[in-house]
Amino acid sequence: MKNSTKRLLVVLFVVFCIAPLALAQAPAAVPATAPAATAAVPASPAPKPILDADLAGTPVPSADAHAKGDPDGSLTGNASDVTVSDPKKGLTIGDLANQVGQNKIAVNFVWTLITGYLVMFMQLGFALLETGLARAKNANHTMMMNMGVYGIGMFAYWLIGFAIQMGGVGAVANLGGTAPLSAEFTATIFGKPFGLFGQHGLFLMHKGTYDVGVMVLFLFQMVFMDTGATIPTGAAVERWKFSAFAVTSFLFAAFTYPLYANWAWGGGWLANLGTNFGLGKGYCDFAGSGVVHAVGGLSALAIAMILGPRIGKFSREGRPQVILAHDIVLVITGCLILAFGWFGFNPGSTLGASSNGNLRIGSIAVNTMLASATGMISAMLYMWFMFKKPDASMTGNGFLAGLVAITAPSGFVNPLGAVIIGLVAGVLVCLSVAFVERVLQVDDPVGAVSVHGTCGIWGVISLGLFADGKSNYGGSWNGVNGSVTGLFYGDASQLVAQLIGVATLVGFVFTLSFIFAFLVDLLVGQRASAKSELEGLDLPEMGALAYPEFELKS
Amino acid sequence: MILVGILLTLLGFVISLISLGVTSSVGGRLAIVLIGLALSLFGIMGVLNKAYLKNAIWKKG
Repeated sequence: MKNSTKRLLVVLFVVFCIAPLALAQAPAAVPATAPAATAAVPASPAPKPILDADLAGTPVPSADAHAKGDPDGSLTGNASDVTVSDPKKGLTIGDLANQVGQNKIAVNFVWTLITGYLVMFMQLGFALLETGLARAKNANHTMMMNMGVYGIGMFAYWLIGFAIQMGGVGAVANLGGTAPLSAEFTATIFGKPFGLFGQHGLFLMHKGTYDVGVMVLFLFQMVFMDTGATIPTGAAVERWKFSAFAVTSFLFAAFTYPLYANWAWGGGWLANLGTNFGLGKGYCDFAGSGVVHAVGGLSALAIAMILGPRIGKFSREGRPQVILAHDIVLVITGCLILAFGWFGFNPGSTLGASSNGNLRIGSIAVNTMLASATGMISAMLYMWFMFKKPDASMTGNGFLAGLVAITAPSGFVNPLGAVIIGLVAGVLVCLSVAFVERVLQVDDPVGAVSVHGTCGIWGVISLGLFADGKSNYGGSWNGVNGSVTGLFYGDASQLVAQLIGVATLVGFVFTLSFIFAFLVDLLVGQRASAKSELEGLDLPEMGALAYPEFELKS
Repeated sequence: MILVGILLTLLGFVISLISLGVTSSVGGRLAIVLIGLALSLFGIMGVLNKAYLKNAIWKKG
């Protein structure tokens, strides 16, 4: 036999040996015909129910083994850690089921609390952002407003705001025990019940609301309200009397915010536009582009209009003048802290990580990141193209605009939708800042009206366009079966529900904010004196300079 | 003018709300809501803000 023939035989031998192995690992081919043979496969036996007796012999590490320590973690956490209801019976199926249920709620509690703490941290971001954009002579005053709103707002919200917002929401399944929040005041309009405000939960003691689930819900909702309450301080910075700020913040936390939040999140009439009027899944606002940001932004507009512009902001012909920020480092640091906190804001709005559909937290977080990136990029490119420099403060505003806009749709859109929403928001905020300043001639030193008001409204509308119908939070939303689906994916009625929400924001929330601001102006006076303003509000309003060792230019 | 501005803004909201009762068609509701929204925006920007701009601080010498 020739050598070449031998080699050929060896190759063929190897191929025949290896081929079956390779085929065995290859994915099964799709059958060309219906798999008739499957009928012949014997059905697997029905699963045998687990009985209490089966648990009797569950192996548990001995006390001696534990005494030696557990460096690799294999002994810690076992059947002996399950609470047993009756020691005589030992571990039962009922004990196991109770433990599983409590574990689920515990996971949700921890998730909601920690994301709530992240949202609270955003207060620092707002404080740094607004103070950096103000002049140094107002730094103490601006920081104090941002801290003051936390305490004042929380107190008002505890007194009455939470009850108005959530007093009729019913049991929040993810948090297990909010059943005491069961009384919603309703009026019948067009033959349908319109939820207007909640009635349980005053002081967190009223009608059984001293309850662990209610406490978790209060903490999370409180920090959201506080985010909204701090938005007007940015638009009113450098000229707002501290006393007027304090009264306004109280009213915002007690009434303005909770009313709209009830209508959207507390079982109110906007949430029920789907069940009552067949409009999509009702008004949807996953984490608050409308409830938090647009409410805050529109209140900021009402206050800024009544306050009027800072001295020197407009020339006698009405042309806007540049008033420089005193510390861009603070501004950008504030923006980045806010972006970090937003990972609590949006993913945390599931109110849990262990329930049907809650694993969407991954896509919610990614949507949040993507929209912030594209918002920043489009604002930066817009400023670079229009004004030849990538302006830092407007790039920061674009960053936040993307985040504000994705807040409502974050739970319902795909990554491509998030990218588009952020891109639009970045340009929109630049156009809106110019419009507010040049056309409306309203002085908004930090761009709060545009970032939170304009882009908040864009976020609400974008949900009605881009919701892709793929999310599933327990099979329904706002009591309507199915997934939230926007116009581009086939449901035009969802867009109408969103626009009714926008009309409520612009027509009702703005009006209520304006009336409150008008009354405060009459009773307390909104604006600091011209002398105080020129001197800087730190000494006249707060009694101390933020930077006493600096030489300040007036 | 401030009162007129506020009333127009609120009227826009009421018109949007009425869309729920007067028709059940999506297109009809959309049109009515947009009219209401436009009226509210006019109330804020075209009436209320202009009333405040009349006495704007930079016009006072």
